[in-house]
Amino acid sequence: MNFLNKYNYIAALLVTILLSACGGGSSESSNPTTGTPPDTSTPPDTVPDTSNHAFSITANDGLPPLLTDKADKNEHLSAGVATTTIQNNDAYSQAIPAIVQQPERDAVFKAGDHTFRSNHDGEGPLFNNTSCQGCHIKDGRGEVPSSSDEPMMSMFLRVGDSKGRIDPIYGDQIQVFGVIEGKSGPILAKYQGAINEGLSYGEAYTWVEYETQQGEFSDGESYTLRKPIYKVKDLAYGDFNEDVRLSARVTPHVYGSGLIESIPESSILVYADPNDSNNDGISGRAAYTSQPITGARELARFGQKAVTGSILQQISGAYRGDMGVTSSLNPEEPCTNLQPACDQQALRENNRHHNGVDLNNIDLAQVEFYNRTLAVPKRRGFDEASNTWNSDVLAGRGLFYKANCHSCHVPRHKTGKALGSVLGDVDLLQIKETKTNITALEDLVIYPYTDLLLHDMGGSCDVTRELASGESCTSGEQCVYVQRCDGLADGRPEGDATGVEWKTPPLWGIGLVKTVNPKATFLHDGRALTIEEAILWHGGEALAAQKSYINMTKAERSNLQAFLNSL
Amino acid sequence: MKNIKNIALTLVCTAVLAACSGDDGKDGTVGTAGVQGEQGVAGVSNFVTAQDVVNTNAQHAYAAFADSLIAAKFLQEKVNELVQNPTEANFTAAKSAWLAAREPYGQTEVYRFREGPIDALTKNEAGEWVLVDGEGPEGAINAWPLAEALIDYTIDMDGNEGRGNAAVYQNGGNIIHDVTSFPVITKALLQEKFELDGEEANVTSGYHAVEFLLWGQDLNADLTYTANRDYTAGHRPVTDFYTAATIPADEANGRTCTSGEQGAQDAVCERRAQFLTAAADLLVDDLQNVVNAWKPGSGFHYSEYTKAENVDKSLASMFESMGRLSFGELAGERMSIAVRTDSQEDEHSCFSDNTHRDIWLNAKGVQNHYSGSYTKVDGEALIGASIHDLLVVKGHHELANELRAAFEATMATASVIDNTAKLGMSFDVQIQNEQNKQDVYATIQALVKQTELIQKAVDALGLEIDNSLKGDTEEDI
Repeated sequence: MNFLNKYNYIAALLVTILLSACGGGSSESSNPTTGTPPDTSTPPDTVPDTSNHAFSITANDGLPPLLTDKADKNEHLSAGVATTTIQNNDAYSQAIPAIVQQPERDAVFKAGDHTFRSNHDGEGPLFNNTSCQGCHIKDGRGEVPSSSDEPMMSMFLRVGDSKGRIDPIYGDQIQVFGVIEGKSGPILAKYQGAINEGLSYGEAYTWVEYETQQGEFSDGESYTLRKPIYKVKDLAYGDFNEDVRLSARVTPHVYGSGLIESIPESSILVYADPNDSNNDGISGRAAYTSQPITGARELARFGQKAVTGSILQQISGAYRGDMGVTSSLNPEEPCTNLQPACDQQALRENNRHHNGVDLNNIDLAQVEFYNRTLAVPKRRGFDEASNTWNSDVLAGRGLFYKANCHSCHVPRHKTGKALGSVLGDVDLLQIKETKTNITALEDLVIYPYTDLLLHDMGGSCDVTRELASGESCTSGEQCVYVQRCDGLADGRPEGDATGVEWKTPPLWGIGLVKTVNPKATFLHDGRALTIEEAILWHGGEALAAQKSYINMTKAERSNLQAFLNSL
Repeated sequence: MKNIKNIALTLVCTAVLAACSGDDGKDGTVGTAGVQGEQGVAGVSNFVTAQDVVNTNAQHAYAAFADSLIAAKFLQEKVNELVQNPTEANFTAAKSAWLAAREPYGQTEVYRFREGPIDALTKNEAGEWVLVDGEGPEGAINAWPLAEALIDYTIDMDGNEGRGNAAVYQNGGNIIHDVTSFPVITKALLQEKFELDGEEANVTSGYHAVEFLLWGQDLNADLTYTANRDYTAGHRPVTDFYTAATIPADEANGRTCTSGEQGAQDAVCERRAQFLTAAADLLVDDLQNVVNAWKPGSGFHYSEYTKAENVDKSLASMFESMGRLSFGELAGERMSIAVRTDSQEDEHSCFSDNTHRDIWLNAKGVQNHYSGSYTKVDGEALIGASIHDLLVVKGHHELANELRAAFEATMATASVIDNTAKLGMSFDVQIQNEQNKQDVYATIQALVKQTELIQKAVDALGLEIDNSLKGDTEEDI
């Protein structure tokens, strides 16, 4: 029965995709899923001018076409009524206004916020940070350590091999801290410490060094980029697998996640073009995952390589993997079965509160609610009194479309239903059987600037083992693992994504990144110090867009930046 | 029980009569001379308007914040006496002054959640005071949980020294012990380090910083830190403030500066004193600015808040604050998490074990808002135009009575927590005891109930909670 349903479901999806692909180019095509009538404002006897339409395909959101030369009336409200007007360093930490106005929802938001900021009982034995907020700094991005002497706190390296398998000893990420009974605070890694002493040290010490890379704009102006080289030493539990691949991740922001989660799958699939049938060089590919409780197949839209389908799946995974905090969804401590020292320490943990796991479902559901209901900041550069945009922002908007950035960073979506948590409705003290939709997230026109699809961003990677001198080596404490990559690739497939693919990250709020955390930088691993550097790193399917930027005049580049900073 | 019912019925009848008379105050003195005679309906002036309620509310804001400032200045004085002359008597006096300072401040918290001065007061580029939501001093004044390990020595549950961020604090992992990075501890340093690196967890200023420096970590009486807590608050010894220059003449045991251990370097105690005075000074400055904004007549926010065209907005903001403090802040963040997870770290005033007062005072502030009353620290009782009066005048006498009862029920349950603590069982121990936990849950339920009624009152008065984004409909793009 289930099987059949699933089959039908996939068949239905295929039909949707085909229809939208077939319907491409015609603004007259009616919508197959919502049945919205075609725009009748245009007299039927004239051929409508579609040259200023951002997309040749028709989205199934029932909205009038997005135009390249004219901003939508409420485009300054990035999330419609779910936008916050706060623009300071708390801009990412605000509840959606409709939530604030309902004291019982506001209370759950605040409780979730509190837990998001707190340390937890039973953290470890292995972890990267002790609280959600410790990585998602003020609900925004993490940061790259300022020197190689500083351990990675709000970024980490994923680990695995070139075939997409996790490392047999270390699992899928390197937790740089461990917990050891009787020792105070987070314990960094010690070479073979876990093997020789049987103690749960951090797994390894990881750091990044940068090489400078020069380039030149068409107008002759030069630029520099920081090319990262990732290094790992002090492996506490033995060597990595022979074919090891690393993937550095700086913590992404969390605001707006509930809106992203509420975009109907069918609306996202409209933009998928896995075989590049329209020959524009861009082939967005949808990734899928299994819903953790029901096992249902669903679109993966969270994680930098699109590996989780829901906020709940994402946060319970982060609790376990990043903090060593287990929950009903992820009850196993982050130890692999080749890490007995970790298992031993896990047995000493204080799990008395919550049926053998570290975090109970009330906390988990409150944190889920918090993440779902964080608002998105309003844009800058728009004067509401006169209803006008700053000229540089408006010019930059035009360039964004002209350079085809919008093909992946799809500006506009419309949210659909926002179902209640699969855990049940949570209040301050309990979880109920009911599952009430979060209507504050529903049916909103939003501007996240992402298609949530996977794209080949180009590049390749190589891992070597080297001594400090750079000389090649094969074993020993001084023999460091070194990963060098060209371009954005990490060489480490994950979920449905290959070693060169990444999910398009949303751009909304990007202009406030440094307002919220002056130390934050850009791209999945924080290598780009500015938004411009991030643009210049684009390759693969985005190479043409990157070239467009290189070919822009200085004034044009400045306008495009003004636009991105207004988001 | 029967009696209460009768009283309630009487009130209802009275109110119904008033409504029938159509006496809404518009008829002037003729109105008061109506059915209920000169005393007005149910002892309430028939002339109470929204403007009156808002005026009273603004005047009481000034009164409560001014009380907080007066108490903070007294605290500042006692702190200075302590660091200049660290005797047991001065130490006790400073701690008493801190507890006293919390009494008025706890009652001001109902003025949060409305883009008022406490949450929004800041200077613009021209140096003028303006309100920008989220830019106000509230966090610097009262944020918690404190990052005590970034301030001074602490121990963890294994009895080892707790450390702040060793990467930031080169020497000792906390501000007081890191002379290299922070040669002098000043107000400016605390302002800069507050929410260090943009991370909210790094709270190092405000009431709770002063509290930590006076009480120290809330260890057990035997100075252990265990999951099973005892009734004692923090045990910081007065010798933590001893320096060569200030050791009291009557020091009989030859003790010198301590810092979690005997014989610490003098500089550590000097720096602790610097931190304490800087934190107290900053607290006074921040409160002074809020008081100025609410000053009747000349305070820029006072005049804005009470302007005729802003009355409905101000009235709506009172309700919004009452609802959000009752439910989200007090029932939610300050009580439910602590009681559900038995977490001392989630307790508000954990070093001094004064959380029972925080709860009671917050709840009292909400009730004050409703009843248009505030009792000054010096005992002067301020009573003005109230929401209760307004509801009755507008004909919502039953709802008014329900609200009155709901606030009283909340205060009754909050008083159980308060009295239990005063009888020796502090809040952090109450949340470990099954029977006392029920009292905490009862208070939470009472707060939830009163919030439902607050929402009803908003509807009854036809108020709209301000939402600047309203008018944007999804199809209107």
